[in-house]
Amino acid sequence: MRNFMALVHNEWLKMSKKRSFFIPYAIIAVVAVGLAWALKHWGGEMLGTASDYTIMMAGTTGFGQFTAMLAVIFTAGLVASEHGMGTIKFLLIRGQSRAKILASKYVAALLFALSLIVWLNVVCFAAGAVWFSTDLPSGALRDILITAGSSLVFSIVYMTLGFMMGVLTRSTGAAMGIGMAAIVLSGITIPKNFYKFILFPNANLSVYNHGGQPPLPGMTLPFSIAVLAVYIVLFLGASFVTFKRRDIA
Amino acid sequence: MNHPNDILGDDAVLSLRGVSKKIGGKKIVDQLSFDVHEGEVVGLLGPNGAGKTTTIRMIAGLIQMSEGDVFVRGSSIRHEWKKAIRHIGAIIENPEFYPYMTGYDNLKQYQRMNEWISNDRIDEVVRLVGLEQAMKKKVKAYSLGMRQRLGIAQALLHQPSVLILDEPTNGLDPAGIREMRDYLKTIAREEGISILVSSHLLLEMEQLCSRVVVIQDGKLVTVRSIGENHAPSNEEKNFVRVMFRVGRLEEAKNVLDSQERAEIVQVAEEQSELLVALRYKDIPDIVAALGAARIPIYQVTEIKQSLEDEFLKWTGGNRIA
Ligand SMILES: Nc1ncnc2c1ncn2[C@@H]1O[C@H](COP(=O)(O)OP(=O)(O)O)[C@@H](O)[C@H]1O
Ligand SMILES: [Mg+2]
Repeated sequence: MRNFMALVHNEWLKMSKKRSFFIPYAIIAVVAVGLAWALKHWGGEMLGTASDYTIMMAGTTGFGQFTAMLAVIFTAGLVASEHGMGTIKFLLIRGQSRAKILASKYVAALLFALSLIVWLNVVCFAAGAVWFSTDLPSGALRDILITAGSSLVFSIVYMTLGFMMGVLTRSTGAAMGIGMAAIVLSGITIPKNFYKFILFPNANLSVYNHGGQPPLPGMTLPFSIAVLAVYIVLFLGASFVTFKRRDIA
Repeated sequence: MNHPNDILGDDAVLSLRGVSKKIGGKKIVDQLSFDVHEGEVVGLLGPNGAGKTTTIRMIAGLIQMSEGDVFVRGSSIRHEWKKAIRHIGAIIENPEFYPYMTGYDNLKQYQRMNEWISNDRIDEVVRLVGLEQAMKKKVKAYSLGMRQRLGIAQALLHQPSVLILDEPTNGLDPAGIREMRDYLKTIAREEGISILVSSHLLLEMEQLCSRVVVIQDGKLVTVRSIGENHAPSNEEKNFVRVMFRVGRLEEAKNVLDSQERAEIVQVAEEQSELLVALRYKDIPDIVAALGAARIPIYQVTEIKQSLEDEFLKWTGGNRIA
């Protein structure tokens, strides 16, 4: 286990030592602060509290979706770039099993997505606190956690899709493109029964908060969670099987 | 004159046994077997496309073997990869690092993967390859020669028993090549490690290796000890090639044809010369037989074929880069 954490540490360093690492955090901060300022000056009395602002911004329908894109963009290269740079040849002859290496990359990706969502919420709340009231109405904390949680799930689902594409195609561009396209397509709902078994309408769990309407009749929170779980298992299964068997040329 | 390919050698650090790789019905490596012994520097020699890199990838477990197995200190790469790979340090084709990290950060990556590698060990290998001054620089600022040395540091970090280098001098200038050769000799001495090094250049192999394994089209051509040519050939059992310059060439050919212990390899009509393969101890008898037939003998010379001549012959000459 100590050994596995060392591998995750390695993967985290490979991401964080890049000069571009701060960019997603900076984008999130700039947008969160800028929008809070703009709303204060031109939005009238639309928003009352910092928690309202955080829930609006960090939700999957708000900036949470963009955060998912950032998560896809910055994790797409985790596997593909090792192939692209050729560093995979050193990585895979160090006595650590391929499954463990891939798992450490996935865990690092999860940590990255988590850090983006936490950062998004922290910055939103802080910016909101500057220009709006810091009162926490009853239930606000619960709503923040639910919104943040569903945004995290949303990010993880598409990041896992991008991760799989990175393993299958060995191309960072393909992984990024397909992951982003999937996020964009997730907004479209086809009103047919089969569509509720597709990934897209299930990925945003926040629709079930406060007894909201599901995208298609017959969908429930447990149903969506089950569908997402099946897709994630399939994506990871395909990734691990491919990665373990592959000839490294 | 072939060196015995001692299949049963049990002091082998690395053994290939009938290793093949089939891709799309084509055998890129075909039934390859050879050994690398303790402390030995062995060359894997073959023209471009012979299957050197493919062989090394199979040894490291990067690609699967279609047939056969590789043993490293007795552990099978197929079945006990973790145990076997522990004894291997390798650079396959170009040494590729994370360019945006420093040399030191790159080595730290590999240290974290094997808990027995100490910080002192990092310093030790860095000193061994002479990169002390470059450790704080990002790898993207390294020259190819520096990356090669960092690659060797990487490969030695976990104290393997055998170091495998795939065309380590590719792309280096003559000074860099010489430097690389010196480093490898130092490493072989100081680390007491066996080295398998591939190349398509014979000269390089001759300067570095004590033995070469020659392959072509994925098949083993021969295993030869370097320096064998220069060793005294007057061992009774050894075959030698002797050139006889004689009068009455046709008669001489008939005499030699009737001798079971000699074989005519080549006939040069104009010079009136016969190239004959025979055992060293049989030379007097053959000379006596020619003498008995009253054939004038002007010259008897042993022809030492250089490894280069043979290499050209094996590999078809024109295919060497
Ligand atoms: N993945 C592959 N698919 C098909 N052919 C390959 C593959 N890898 C290598 N080859 C072929 O196998 C032969 C040996 O390649 P390689 O091992 O790289 O040779 P060397 O390293 O001796 O130059 C070459 O003819 C090459 O084109
Ligand atoms: Mg090669």
